Amino acid sequence: MEIITSILAGVLFATAIYNILQKQLLRIVIGTALLSHGAHILILTMGRLKTGQPPILTEGISDYTDPLPQALILTSIVISFGVTSLLLVLAYRTTKENNTDNMEQLRGNENE
Amino acid sequence: MILAVLVPLLIACFIPALSKLKAKIHTGIFVFFVPFIIFLYFVQFVGNDFSPQIEQYSWIPSLGINLDFYLDGLSLLFVLLISGIGSLVVLYSIYYLHKSERLGHFYVYLLMFMSAMLGVVLSDNIFVLYTFWELTSISSFLLIGYWHFKERSRYGALKSMLITVFGGLSMLGGFILLYVVTGTTSIQEMISQVDVILDSNYLPLILGFILLGAFTKSAQFPFHIWLPDAMEAPTPVSAYLHSATMVKAGIFLIARFSPIFSSYEWFFLIVSIVGIITLCWGSYMSVRQTDLKAILAFSTISQLGMIMAMLGFGTTIAVFAAVFHILNHATFKGSLFMIAGIVDHETGTRDIRKLGGLATFMPITATLAIFATFSMAGVPLPFLNGFYSKELFFDAGIQLDNSGFWSQAIPYLAVLGSIFTFVYSMYLFFGTFTGKKHLEQLPKKPHEAPFGMLVSPIILVLGVILIGLLPNMANAPFLQHAAEAINGDTEFYKVKFWHGWDSPAFRMSLVVVTLGIILFVTRKRWQAVYQVLPGKASFNKVYDAIVANMDSVSRSVTNFYMTGSLKTYMSLILGTTLVVSFFVMFVSNGFTVSTDQLADISFIEIAVVLIMIIAAIGTIYMNHNVAAVLVLGVVGFGVAILFVIYRAPDIALTQLVIETVSVALFLLCFYHLPKLRKSTDSAKTKTMNAIISIGFGALITMVAISAHSSRWFESISDYFVENSYKLGGGDNIVNVILVDMRGLDTLFEIAVLGIAALAIFGLIKNKKNKEAE
Amino acid sequence: MSNLAVLPIIIPLISAVILIFFNQKVKVSRALSKLFSLISLGTSSYITWYVFTNGTIILETGDWLAPYGIILVMDGLAAILVLTTNIIAVACAFYAPNAGLEKRETFYFYPFFFFLITGVSGAFITGDLFNLFVFFEVLLMASYGLIVLGGGKVQLRESLKYLLINLFSSMLFVTAVAFLYAVVGTVNMAQIAQRVQEVEQQGILTTIGILLFFVFATKAALFPLYYWLPKSYIVPNPVISALFGALLTKVGIYSILRVFTLIFVHKTDMTHEMFIWIAGLSMIFGVIGALSTSNIKLIIAYNIIPAIGFIILGIGLLNQDGISGSIYYLINDMIIKSVLFLLVGVIAYVAGTSDLRKMGGLIHYYPFLGWLLFVSALVLAGLPPFSGFIGKLLLLKGAFEQGEIAIVIIGLITSLLILYSVVKIFINGFWGDKETMAELPKKSTKGLLAPVVGLLALSVILGVGAEFFYPHIESIATYLLDPEIYIDSVLKE
Repeated sequence: MEIITSILAGVLFATAIYNILQKQLLRIVIGTALLSHGAHILILTMGRLKTGQPPILTEGISDYTDPLPQALILTSIVISFGVTSLLLVLAYRTTKENNTDNMEQLRGNENE
Repeated sequence: MILAVLVPLLIACFIPALSKLKAKIHTGIFVFFVPFIIFLYFVQFVGNDFSPQIEQYSWIPSLGINLDFYLDGLSLLFVLLISGIGSLVVLYSIYYLHKSERLGHFYVYLLMFMSAMLGVVLSDNIFVLYTFWELTSISSFLLIGYWHFKERSRYGALKSMLITVFGGLSMLGGFILLYVVTGTTSIQEMISQVDVILDSNYLPLILGFILLGAFTKSAQFPFHIWLPDAMEAPTPVSAYLHSATMVKAGIFLIARFSPIFSSYEWFFLIVSIVGIITLCWGSYMSVRQTDLKAILAFSTISQLGMIMAMLGFGTTIAVFAAVFHILNHATFKGSLFMIAGIVDHETGTRDIRKLGGLATFMPITATLAIFATFSMAGVPLPFLNGFYSKELFFDAGIQLDNSGFWSQAIPYLAVLGSIFTFVYSMYLFFGTFTGKKHLEQLPKKPHEAPFGMLVSPIILVLGVILIGLLPNMANAPFLQHAAEAINGDTEFYKVKFWHGWDSPAFRMSLVVVTLGIILFVTRKRWQAVYQVLPGKASFNKVYDAIVANMDSVSRSVTNFYMTGSLKTYMSLILGTTLVVSFFVMFVSNGFTVSTDQLADISFIEIAVVLIMIIAAIGTIYMNHNVAAVLVLGVVGFGVAILFVIYRAPDIALTQLVIETVSVALFLLCFYHLPKLRKSTDSAKTKTMNAIISIGFGALITMVAISAHSSRWFESISDYFVENSYKLGGGDNIVNVILVDMRGLDTLFEIAVLGIAALAIFGLIKNKKNKEAE
Repeated sequence: MSNLAVLPIIIPLISAVILIFFNQKVKVSRALSKLFSLISLGTSSYITWYVFTNGTIILETGDWLAPYGIILVMDGLAAILVLTTNIIAVACAFYAPNAGLEKRETFYFYPFFFFLITGVSGAFITGDLFNLFVFFEVLLMASYGLIVLGGGKVQLRESLKYLLINLFSSMLFVTAVAFLYAVVGTVNMAQIAQRVQEVEQQGILTTIGILLFFVFATKAALFPLYYWLPKSYIVPNPVISALFGALLTKVGIYSILRVFTLIFVHKTDMTHEMFIWIAGLSMIFGVIGALSTSNIKLIIAYNIIPAIGFIILGIGLLNQDGISGSIYYLINDMIIKSVLFLLVGVIAYVAGTSDLRKMGGLIHYYPFLGWLLFVSALVLAGLPPFSGFIGKLLLLKGAFEQGEIAIVIIGLITSLLILYSVVKIFINGFWGDKETMAELPKKSTKGLLAPVVGLLALSVILGVGAEFFYPHIESIATYLLDPEIYIDSVLKE
């Protein structure tokens, strides 16, 4: 199963990057969201899957899934959320200020 | 010695204050005493029983950078030149520079230069030497750019700096290599390890680096091009830096390192050939110049070439001649620059075509000029020092071991260069002081210079005559020590005026004079010949082309990839990461697949994964805002379901909450953003994008599988499981990790959210402000 | 005394939080931020002194033993970098009120500023790879906040690119940490190092190392990953550019220095040798960029890249002189880059343009400014006796010892071109006819130059007084070259 989730993560990365390489800002934003999903799936996979019960101490159970990756993912999710929110607002403001959502028209020149 | 080196710098700090008084007292008067006292201090070392002096102070001993000063015959010669000519130049400048000029700046730079130059010739430590070396370049830059409102000054200043700093850096490379090879930073200690250096594989490189430094500084062919442009500096500067001292720093460097390299045949070949070529080229170029200072600049280049060649020969007579000529050149060239300055000052032009017949207006200047030019030309008269050293030069050329082609060619080339020297010397004198007067073309009515201005050239010309009359006076107490420092020979060389008719050197002199006179008299017919070379491919043009191309090529190179396009940047970043990572993975046999330790596969997982994959790919093809967000939401909720399946309840919950909020946010934002459009990229771009993204996805998958297949260690997580309740007091291990064991992460995760909130608030508030305006 | 290690993170964090509440009161904010930055500087000076007399401070946060909890490791390298960061912070705090931020000061400039210092210091101190990611996010988020501050068209546009590229590299960072966790089962850097050493960095580990390298290299703006940097660094206010130029890229290069002297040091033929190539290419392309433009801010921004090239050269050489040189150069470059960004900020302000082609003769009106720029150019180019020279000398010596002749030649030529690119500003902007800019209103540079002079003086002291500093740097290099010391001190074995 780890191999399958690894492939899933790969697909998420690939689609994310394809979206990021587009011109339209909206697609780029979608790409970044996919990227963080891919990364989180990957962290979980890297801690091995289904090696035991959920990491909540229960009497009589000694096998738990690895809790550390879960903690790391939690931190990462929250951070990604912060960044994504900022990105959304920034994308919105940039589009309004520059009157375009086409990144190719947001190149600029040397002396500004 | 350290005082001598640092005092000019210290005094320079007071100059801005002193220059406030310039209405009453010319700042130069204060400055004059600095080199003069240094000169007096060092004169005491002159004597038959002189022995080298050492003075050491630690500075940065752990890097081998120490203020070690070493005064031997060679340094003494240069120190006396620097301080002696320095005094005369300052004296001269008092009359040359009007009080309305920015005297403060001028003298600060000049003193800075003096310190630097004294430092160069007195340092025994290579890095200290380098420090002072670059300081001479910098101060020369500032002095050339002294009248920086002139375009030519800025051009000349930049050119001289680029070329000399380039040489300096190259020299630094050589020095560091020497340090690495010998393990010492002291030149004297290096000299005692000659064998180590000569056996080193780096020897050619060391030599190349150091010679490059010396050649650029001493304006050797083809790096000579900066010197003529340096003539934009005020004339006292030209007399001081660009004829008597700074340009001789390269000569000094070669002389200083001669004991190390002299037995290396390439040293002889390169230095003497470059020197001889420079001699011929410089004197040839000089003949066609029409600006007095340009004539002198090319003349300086050619004379430096001659000294350089003699150091390359390395024989007893050649080294002595080199040392002798360093002194002689300083006297006659220094005075000639000052005379050119006087002519410029009193007539308002330096264009020799407009000058002529000035002898009647300026008899004293003309008298001085006749001595100086004839000495430079090497006219065989017993009161002209230039003749002696030139004849020694011929002698040295003939006495070379006649084995190679170059050894045989050198005497002929020496004669050739000297003929041109004769021609321009005569032209310089006769063109300026005799012949037809063109008073109407002169901006000012010419008259004799004030006496103060004449003092310095008079002293220098007296030097010319004195050395000419008593050529051996300075040998034993002075020049011999200098020569000894270069080649270790203690043999005393006696200079004679008369060697007899059959002396080959004398015959060469006669050839020079005869042909020189013929060429000078018939000069007009040869005009065309002097214009033949260097035609279009002059080295100046090469320099200009390099500088111009540096600007345009760098611009086009940079604009090529710095397009401002995010897509280009991302593609380049991703592409590089991709290629290098794959390469490394391949080379290091990184990819491994092991099917041990795999979790089992259930249908529901497969279904979720498949739906996610389809949804993810779907985001690419969705052309409707809301649809795109919904498809993205499917992926997000899929992640949450996977978290549930993989027994991660906490993150599953978090993911659900965050995903819900995100979707709402997305919808809100997407509502305002323009509609999704169909991609208009060309097929080629699409393929490229696909290759990069699929490649990157594959990379991630492969590394993930390999990493999963190489679980060589137990995770530290067991500790968390064991101690979550015992030490952390919580059943939910993930929670305990978050708030306790890795509490710092969580604290700053909250900080990140907080900052994001502030940033968003700022963005929105800013918008409101703008709208309000 | 081990709690000392957390102070450089906590003091700016608390300062930032306090300043949020005084956001609207500009005068209070200014005074407080000066005060806080001085307190922070004082603390970090004491810490540096303490570390150099008593050795590395290890703080196990929450008393969770290494390698299980997050460990803060205040070693010599972290201490001097934190100290340098705080020195620059003080200079910027004193410059900011006069920097023409105007309204932007009330858009949480000061809180962002201190959050940035928090993140930078944290990144230097932490001994945990995931925690490093978190601190990266703190400083990046603060930098996003700063870069969009009061943004117009251009600024928003460049901020967006900056954010997107950093977002990508952050995600790659987390991914690489996850990979590493799968293989070695830990995120504590000392333990990672120990375990990587145990299996001799075989198999996939080198590839993971390279992925981490690219993450850091993107932040450090190395060739060929620096495209995002030049434009985005010049759009915000000069004081923000100075912070970015001095600190952000340096955190990236610090991470490379740490990770590739501590963890991935067993396959140097693949990793470190590549660094030397990258160093050369960064120097060449960076300086070409600097020569390509007549925008004075852009000239300085491009000059970040060759400097980073010099620093990575030492890491690639991985010998005593190379590492000492890298550290010396790193500190020098943090200082001189902030000086230059602040200076060109002042120049653009007084000249009313950043376009060099429209300037000339400024020295007649602003002589002091001109000479400051001139000296800075010499420092930047690494001419003696300034601090840049010491670093460069060590690096070139280290390269020769390794037989890397080509890189030395590139380094020397690059130095010349760096000098040219900045002296160009002096020649074309300051020299020239008095009349060129005669109609320009004379502006006051009051309060702007004092911080610059202070930093520049420090840079001179670092060069002239190298005897005082170099032995410490040398001991840090020795320490870095022997990962065992770090591992043992953290894991207490």
